[in-house]
Amino acid sequence: MTRPFSGRKDGLSLSEALPDRSLFALVAMMGFLAALTVAGASGARALSARWSGGAAQLLTIQVPDADTALTAQNGPTTRVQAVLADLASLPAGSEVHQLTQPELSRLLEPWLGETDNTALPLPAIIRVKLPVDTSVPATLEQTLNTHVPGTIVEHNARWGERLRALANSLLACAGLALLTVGGIATMITGLATRTGLATRKDIIKTLHGLGASDSYIAGRFAWRTATLGFGGGLTGTLGACLPLLLLLQMAAPFASTPLTAPDRLLPTNWQALAATIPQDMLVALLLLPFAAAFICWFTTQIMVRLWLLRLP
Amino acid sequence: MIRLDNVSWHRGKKDSAPVLAHVSFMVPQGGFRWLLGPSGAGKSSLLSLLHIENLPSDGQMTILGKTVAQEEKRSALVRLRQRIGMVHQDYQLMPDLSVADNVALPLRLQKRPEDEIQDEVHAILKWVGLGERVGVPAAQLSGGEQQRTAIARAIIHRPGLILADEPTNALEESQACRLLDMFAELSAMGTTVVVATHNESLIRRLERPFLFLERGRLVEDGGAQA
Ligand SMILES: Nc1ncnc2c1ncn2[C@@H]1O[C@H](COP(=O)(O)OP(=O)(O)O)[C@@H](O)[C@H]1O
Ligand SMILES: [Mg+2]
Repeated sequence: MTRPFSGRKDGLSLSEALPDRSLFALVAMMGFLAALTVAGASGARALSARWSGGAAQLLTIQVPDADTALTAQNGPTTRVQAVLADLASLPAGSEVHQLTQPELSRLLEPWLGETDNTALPLPAIIRVKLPVDTSVPATLEQTLNTHVPGTIVEHNARWGERLRALANSLLACAGLALLTVGGIATMITGLATRTGLATRKDIIKTLHGLGASDSYIAGRFAWRTATLGFGGGLTGTLGACLPLLLLLQMAAPFASTPLTAPDRLLPTNWQALAATIPQDMLVALLLLPFAAAFICWFTTQIMVRLWLLRLP
Repeated sequence: MIRLDNVSWHRGKKDSAPVLAHVSFMVPQGGFRWLLGPSGAGKSSLLSLLHIENLPSDGQMTILGKTVAQEEKRSALVRLRQRIGMVHQDYQLMPDLSVADNVALPLRLQKRPEDEIQDEVHAILKWVGLGERVGVPAAQLSGGEQQRTAIARAIIHRPGLILADEPTNALEESQACRLLDMFAELSAMGTTVVVATHNESLIRRLERPFLFLERGRLVEDGGAQA
């Protein structure tokens, strides 16, 4: 004989009507996908932010045959000196810096090795950093080229804009992917709830007849699916953490805080790696199980309440 | 108080033949009515309307002094239903729950304190003779035990209206008589009672006005002249 009273039981036996295997596993998969998507979105957002920040104010100018004298009337200036003279007209506060020979060597080292490369005809590289809220005069490249033919102006902002557009479209894709994942989770929950309602039809009718309110019955079902959704979402998110940390480690050289480039697949210092997880990604990942629970709860509430409308 | 004015009810589509047609009667608070009629006359259907499991397709229905209509707020109907006790013909117990948990349901849905619930359940189960069976799952009970559990569940929350659909067909004579005495007593204390039955000896034992249904129509209302 069992105990006569079993707490707050009402006969719905939802752990059997809404078994954990289907809903839990499917929501876990959705949680896994959502976690990866959130990570991708967070990365794209960081890139976008970086490129719309400082990088846009940088200008790189290449002057080929820098030391050749310019055939000009006004004095024996070299080509690079003429360019530098022109750059004096940039907005006040601009920093103009011509890379020195050692800096240039270091820049080229990966390609040319540590040789004495003075023999090569290298262009002069001038870096210009414009003050915030200023822009490059539209005629700069033209002016420089009339004075010193062959000068190349690389405006980082142009690249920055392209990269930002790319990052933004990645963000939009991530948003769509999250919407899709949410939609699938809603459908899965809806189907599970429908099955549960069908198997408990008579019990629900009896409960309704005994004076159970819609919110009581819907709440019982929704609490069950929300619990399963939370568990599934948590499992999926945790499951996504390992691949995410690996990806993060591979992306580390591109991040602002430089970790040493990975020389083996598995990182040695997990804690340092975990510390590099962006704040917004961490928050989003923590919110995922709750979002899953909410989707399940809300879907079930609506479904059950609609179903109950067939009873007066 | 129950009052039906020209109530009709169709199962499903409105153009189908009505299960109940133009039924009108009144039972005052504390009144007792036998609900009689051949099998298939619509007794269970009428009780399902009085229990607000279904709403009339036509006509006006007042239960416990409150008008019941399509446009009534659902929460109001829920509260009204909590004041009705119903013994279904097929008992409608929760098969997985123990006798005690089944009987406790109306009180739990009203969120009464748990210790109070347990006292009440033990008392009423003793009265219906199921004191030894409190922990048995309803699915393992005999027909008579199920019926007594259903009766206990219908009266434990002291409803203002008791509806019983052939509540004695699985009971022994002595149990049926005890039940009838209790219904009479509850009615005397102000509870409205409607009992559908076929049991002639029972009807003879307690002489009360009857409602006689035939093919969905009320052909006799013994309480009308009173
Ligand atoms: N579940 C059902 N589906 C369709 N018709 C039904 C159903 N239950 C009862 N009926 C029909 O409704 C009418 C009234 O039935 P019911 O109210 O159960 O009568 P009673 O309780 O007096 O025997 C009968 O004609 C019966 O055949
Ligand atoms: Mg019947």
